[in-house]
Amino acid sequence: MAKLILLLLKCILLCGTVYAVFEDQVGKFDWRQQYVGKVRFCHFDAHMQSSKKVLLATESNVFAALNTRTGEVLWRHVDKTGPEGNIDAFLQNGQDAVLVVGNGRFLRSWETNIGGLNWEAVLDSGSFQSACLIGQQGTVKNVAVLKKTAISLHYLSNGHQKWIENLPDSDTVDYQTVYSGGNSEVYVLGVVPHSHIAIVAFSGDDGEILQQSSVEAPWLSSIPESCQMVDQDLLICVDSTTMSLYTLDLKLQLQLNQIPLQSLELEVDPDFRPSLVSHQPNPAKQPRSEFFLQLAPDHYVLLQFNNGQLVVLRDFKPALLVSFATTGEKTVAAVMSPKNKTASSINLFNAETGRRLLDTTLIFTMDPNGGKPEKLNVQAFLKKDDSVGYRVMVQTKDHTLTFLQQPGRVLWTREEALSDVLTMEMVDLPLTGTQAELEGEFGKKTDGLMSMVFKRLSSQLILLQAWVAHLWKLFYDARKPRSQVKNDISMENLSRDEFNLQKMMVMVTASGKLFGIDSKTGGILWKHYLENIPSNAAFKLMVQRTTAHFPHPPQCTLLIKDKDTGLASLHVFNPIYGKMSHVSPPALPQPILQSLMLPFMDQDYAKVLLLIDDQYKVSAFPSTKYVLQQLQEMASSIFFFLVDSNQGRLSGYRLRTDLSTEQIWEVALPTETQKIVSVKGKKPNEHVHSQGRVMGDRSVLYKYLNPNLLAVVTESTDLHQERSFVGIILIDGVTGRIIHEAVQRKARGPVHVVHSENWVVYEYWSTKSRRNEFSVIELYEGMELYNSTAFSSLDRPLVPQVLQQSYIFPSSISTMEATLTEKGITSRHLLIGLPSGGILSLPKMFLDPRRPEMASEQSREENLIPYAPELMIRTEWFVNYNQTVSRVRGIYTAPSGLESTCLVVAYGLDIYHTRVYPSKQFDVLKDDYDYMLISSVLLALFFATMISKRLAEVKLLNRAWR
Amino acid sequence: MSFVEKMSLSWLIVLAAIVAVRGFTDSDPGPGAAAATPLGGDRFKIEGRAIVPGVKAQDWVSTARVLVDGEDYVGFLRTDGGFSVNDVPSGSYVVEVVTPSYRFEPVRVDITSKGKMRARMVNYIKTSEVIRQPYPLQIRSSGPHSYFMKRETWGWTDFLMNPMVMMMVLPLLIIVLLPKVVNTNDPEMRKEMEQSMNMLNPNPELPDVSELMTKLFSGSKGSSKASSSKGTRPAVKRR
Repeated sequence: MAKLILLLLKCILLCGTVYAVFEDQVGKFDWRQQYVGKVRFCHFDAHMQSSKKVLLATESNVFAALNTRTGEVLWRHVDKTGPEGNIDAFLQNGQDAVLVVGNGRFLRSWETNIGGLNWEAVLDSGSFQSACLIGQQGTVKNVAVLKKTAISLHYLSNGHQKWIENLPDSDTVDYQTVYSGGNSEVYVLGVVPHSHIAIVAFSGDDGEILQQSSVEAPWLSSIPESCQMVDQDLLICVDSTTMSLYTLDLKLQLQLNQIPLQSLELEVDPDFRPSLVSHQPNPAKQPRSEFFLQLAPDHYVLLQFNNGQLVVLRDFKPALLVSFATTGEKTVAAVMSPKNKTASSINLFNAETGRRLLDTTLIFTMDPNGGKPEKLNVQAFLKKDDSVGYRVMVQTKDHTLTFLQQPGRVLWTREEALSDVLTMEMVDLPLTGTQAELEGEFGKKTDGLMSMVFKRLSSQLILLQAWVAHLWKLFYDARKPRSQVKNDISMENLSRDEFNLQKMMVMVTASGKLFGIDSKTGGILWKHYLENIPSNAAFKLMVQRTTAHFPHPPQCTLLIKDKDTGLASLHVFNPIYGKMSHVSPPALPQPILQSLMLPFMDQDYAKVLLLIDDQYKVSAFPSTKYVLQQLQEMASSIFFFLVDSNQGRLSGYRLRTDLSTEQIWEVALPTETQKIVSVKGKKPNEHVHSQGRVMGDRSVLYKYLNPNLLAVVTESTDLHQERSFVGIILIDGVTGRIIHEAVQRKARGPVHVVHSENWVVYEYWSTKSRRNEFSVIELYEGMELYNSTAFSSLDRPLVPQVLQQSYIFPSSISTMEATLTEKGITSRHLLIGLPSGGILSLPKMFLDPRRPEMASEQSREENLIPYAPELMIRTEWFVNYNQTVSRVRGIYTAPSGLESTCLVVAYGLDIYHTRVYPSKQFDVLKDDYDYMLISSVLLALFFATMISKRLAEVKLLNRAWR
Repeated sequence: MSFVEKMSLSWLIVLAAIVAVRGFTDSDPGPGAAAATPLGGDRFKIEGRAIVPGVKAQDWVSTARVLVDGEDYVGFLRTDGGFSVNDVPSGSYVVEVVTPSYRFEPVRVDITSKGKMRARMVNYIKTSEVIRQPYPLQIRSSGPHSYFMKRETWGWTDFLMNPMVMMMVLPLLIIVLLPKVVNTNDPEMRKEMEQSMNMLNPNPELPDVSELMTKLFSGSKGSSKASSSKGTRPAVKRR
């Protein structure tokens, strides 16, 4: 035990020197953006007139409150992903918000002021249909939840169940909505499609069935889609086949009353399914008697029920979106109508009369690169003079939220598409004109001596000019108050900094919206919404041409593939400005199996992209004559592989000169016992500085650096905890030779793998010990290198030495990535995203299979830490300190111009960017470097020498006179 | 011969496979329980309370979550700091309260197939060791997280107490003060010193520190007799 403590102590001592954040670095080069996801339900907090809160329940299973003044997240609760955390319904009552979660499994009540839970109730199983608040004598005390076969009532104060009743004939009737008009009666409406409506009225007090009847309605198939409640217990439905409105009084329940639309002089657009929008401002009172009827995509009619008569109040055409809002006793209708191509206007109308309210026009300008507006959420409030003012939150198709106030001032926008980033790349910013000039000087060497000198002088002059301009700007800015000085980045002054620390982050989101984000500030510089992206699309982003080839613009290519059909398309754009490239991508008629970027370029410096279709035919992009010729020359050395996880097959192919392919190897894994989970290669832009490791006895252990090595992870199909296993196979992608195979028994996934240099680190769940474990495999060639000039998979007769070691990790992990630096000199760290939101920077030194059990002289010489089974999580190692990143899906690492610095972007629900220094900042002065001290010491020394010189002179003179 | 070999992943298929795996983990009933309870078996509730001493629960519960075995089951904290994680099948779980501001120790909770609960300390190395803890859980925070390293601040005391500086300062003091204490002009004293020096330094050919020091001593007193080389130079200048 004492030994263990000693070991731990040593570890701590060693770790003390490892990277951590200093408190004064907070926010200096890191930033975080918090998102909530695509909004499903939205309620403005209306119980207080001065409230600044909007509550959002989203499709990402997040429930959050935003500050309406700034758009910032006040608090946020992130539930489980998937259907178990799905928010089915959101009801608001005063300062409590009631949520139905997980297909009616949980009922939760949140205290919206502080963002804490009031209570949580577990409901009986059964698929959720609908929920509503039940009011009684003006107050709301209960909530009703309708399931497929039962209805239950719960107290709002503590969530306890008041009563639960089975629904009659639930096997034939499809119960769909529950409604209460504020008088303790609970109506449950069901439908037998194309036959009749079933209505059951329950007593709110004890669940007794008061009334039960059915009404013929052969045209009706779904109540929520075509019916709404209006006025006093009146069900109103619209049907497109008979072109009629139907009304039914739930109290009397005689029969449906048909009102042909023609009698109201209205006409439904052909092939359009009309719909209704009604409004119940207070659950304890009856709904409004006014409602909207949508007749065409851009045609709405405001109707009113007046003493049993339908009256058309106003016709809105063209109108994109409508919404009701209530403040105090006043109810208004907001209508958005298009004005021109890029702007639409929103107006308020009095709901009772349909009259337009004066001075309520609001202009909403649409982003030409964004989506169309989808939903209108209106926050109405009473002004001092008792007129109605309002703000509006517009949801657009690209998941953007825009919050506006009159007369069209945008208070804030939120790009919720960024809550679902799928893939990203970091692109270097272009050089400025002067920088390019300087670079150009070193490019050509054909000029004579004199011209070279002149060139140098002129470029120096330009630099001087730029420096003076910079100084002048500094001086000019210094006189202005600080608040006015904005150092925001715009497209014009976008240029690379000295150490290439600022880059352009190109992010691809699941909604099909692309973003260009400045990595220094996190500001969105451009966005581009790709319409018609299939919902299950897979994306692959590739940088074909970097910014290094001025005047050719940089070029990125996005491969978009429908996962079901396999059909793909290419989107080619400029990553700095987000503009579509003029290069027209080829049409891809065949499903694409594989894509690969080749290391050679065409005459315009664009890397060649190869696409392999399901006929194993290869097409190149760009496919100029030059490229095809190059391809023919190189064909014999181009190999690729395909993975078919359904059939457990890995196969390697070779390119022929006529651009057809030939299978050269195949590895089949029996699908009955295991399936391929992931295949990881090495990053193409990774550099390894040292070829070997110097051992304690001064000999060198050479690394096995095979660029074509693949790590294939398999999981057993048998999930029994005694028999499940995780396998890892290291396979050469060119020859198909299996280099190493390891099996972890009594383990299961999810497996996270990092494959880099000569090592593979993977993490799995040990079912035997019920803990997460890390395992590291390192490959070495031995004490001699076989062919030190170049590596070839085809000529490597020796099998590498394999070392492996495993460790316990005290937390599960979400994702894992390794740091990456320019030249690979800096030591490596693993960046581990934890479910708690922390991003742990774990030195690779701890995951070293050469860690000895007992420290010896040689191992100490090598700086090996003695083996300890448990890896530690120290909060000092969190690169994001308290800026937690929810649901980390991926971590992207990119080298910067400084060898010590690695740029890190963690994305998931949030986006976080920072810099890490795995070996500390050895190539720049520390940012706490004490310039004052060093200069004062220098000055002091200078004066000391001056004084002592003078003293010495005086002394010599005195001596001479003696 | 060198080959240009380039490959990339068959990313689409792999992606599909990963999705399939995710699906399976979601529906998995949890570790240790795979055989005992099939899906739809009895589900239990883990209850407890998290306390941050000296801080009102309202001030921190909005940022906190209760995680059971990573993110397999998620619970939220009530406004009084209490929590319950519903719908957990029998098995053994690590329950953790996570918040960016305060540190909480994780607890292992065992649930038998009959629903009996037991809480114990988490020990990943000896997994079967049982150190009981109260159930319903009482998780007390051990203070705020420490995320930051302390900057090395520069102070005069740090500088002076530095061993290197001490090593420099002490001899300096000796060099300056010793000649003042000991009168080097006294010929007897000189003789004594020279003798001791000779004893220390048997080889007179080698110039060494002690010799230098004596030179310095004599130099500081301004006498030109100590060494001829030193004495002649000012003499030349005098002319």
